[in-house]
Amino acid sequence: MISILAVAGTEAAQEGFFETFGVNWPFFIAQLVNFIIVLVVLKKFAFTPIQEILEQRRKRIAEGEDKLKRIEQQLTDSEQRTQEAIDKANADAARLINEAKESAASLTEKKAQEAIASAQVILAKAEEAAKAERKTMTAELKKEFGRLVTATTATVTGKVLNDDDQKRINEEALSSVEG
Amino acid sequence: MAQLLSVRTFSFLLPVVILMIGSGEVSAAGGHQLPLYPESPFEGTAFSWISNSMLMVWLAAIIIILFCRVATKKMALVPTGFQNFAEWLVESLYDFFGNILGEHLVKRTFWFFGATFMLILLVNYLGLIPGVGTMGTTDAHGHFKGLLRGGNADLNMTAAMSITFFLLWLYWSFTEIGVKNFFAHIFAPQGTFTGFMKVCMIVMFFLVGILEIVSIFIRPVALSFRLFGNIYGGEQTLEGLMALVPQYFAFLPALPFYFMELLVGLVQALVFTLLCAVFLKLMCSHSEEH
Repeated sequence: MISILAVAGTEAAQEGFFETFGVNWPFFIAQLVNFIIVLVVLKKFAFTPIQEILEQRRKRIAEGEDKLKRIEQQLTDSEQRTQEAIDKANADAARLINEAKESAASLTEKKAQEAIASAQVILAKAEEAAKAERKTMTAELKKEFGRLVTATTATVTGKVLNDDDQKRINEEALSSVEG
Repeated sequence: MAQLLSVRTFSFLLPVVILMIGSGEVSAAGGHQLPLYPESPFEGTAFSWISNSMLMVWLAAIIIILFCRVATKKMALVPTGFQNFAEWLVESLYDFFGNILGEHLVKRTFWFFGATFMLILLVNYLGLIPGVGTMGTTDAHGHFKGLLRGGNADLNMTAAMSITFFLLWLYWSFTEIGVKNFFAHIFAPQGTFTGFMKVCMIVMFFLVGILEIVSIFIRPVALSFRLFGNIYGGEQTLEGLMALVPQYFAFLPALPFYFMELLVGLVQALVFTLLCAVFLKLMCSHSEEH
């Protein structure tokens, strides 16, 4: 490389710099125009469309990431709302069950009280009925007992007893029995 | 052992061969030496302004444009085939230059750096196709004229790219930081000084600014010669190596250097565009500092 440059340098000194390296206006201007055309064409047909599509893709990826974040946020919110709704539903259900239990207990108590009351009424009626029956029976018994005492007295004494006698004997007999 | 020997022999012969090629001894021994200048295959006609290196640049430009047309013909959001490759290429280059220039500058200037990189790379690789530089005509005086020549083995081409960049660099720098800041970046003293020191610093930074101006004007020259020298040197090396052996085995000594030239082609494309990007960043970072 150094040797080449040395040889070139010597030649350049002898023949003139531009002649040695073949630098002249027509070649130089043609190469300059070539280069500028290539730059312009590549800028227009290669770099601009490719950079545009790369930019477009970058934007889409960024948008996709934003959307993903939003979806994740929405999912989290949704999960939170669902959990809250489930919790609320659980609380409501628990409250309803408690209320139902309380209501059932209350109803049971009420019905029991009603049953007791009803039973007491029945019992009272039964007692009254029993009393009335006993009273009737006692009256019939007294009546029969009086009749028997009167009949026995009439038979024993051989006397015909009038109504007053019968009544007096009955009362005495009854008072001695009840006494 | 044999491998070690061959490596040692190769490493010993390599500089000798390069020196022989450089000094023209190989070409004198039988092969033809690639001239430093491009020639026109159409000399004597109205198209004498078309040089053999220009044909290669046209070929590269046509290939790149066709590739881009095919790749961008039916652009889809989910890329396939050529579009996929083109997008990978553009995105990789964009990120690469973006790391140097920053988000704002790369958006503005990527078209230049991307296109220049692709053009230099393809032109360099097309110059390695067998026949380029060796296919041509020999006139009555025994002067060989190549039909095709590596595009970047022509100083006109490398100078055209460097000067285009230089003009764009001026435009981008002025529009990014303004004319006042542009000259302030070159001449204004850095830091705070008072009294006599301030006067000294103003004088010193003015002189440094003049050196900076000289270095700015040297940049396109350095860019041109760096690319030209590397590519021309590579082609000269390949031609010289092929002349070392009989014609039918000419490919053998050049073969390892083909791989090296593939690397050189890529590295030189990177170096050219990377330096351009750094020059631009150095000037435009001024506005960020203030």
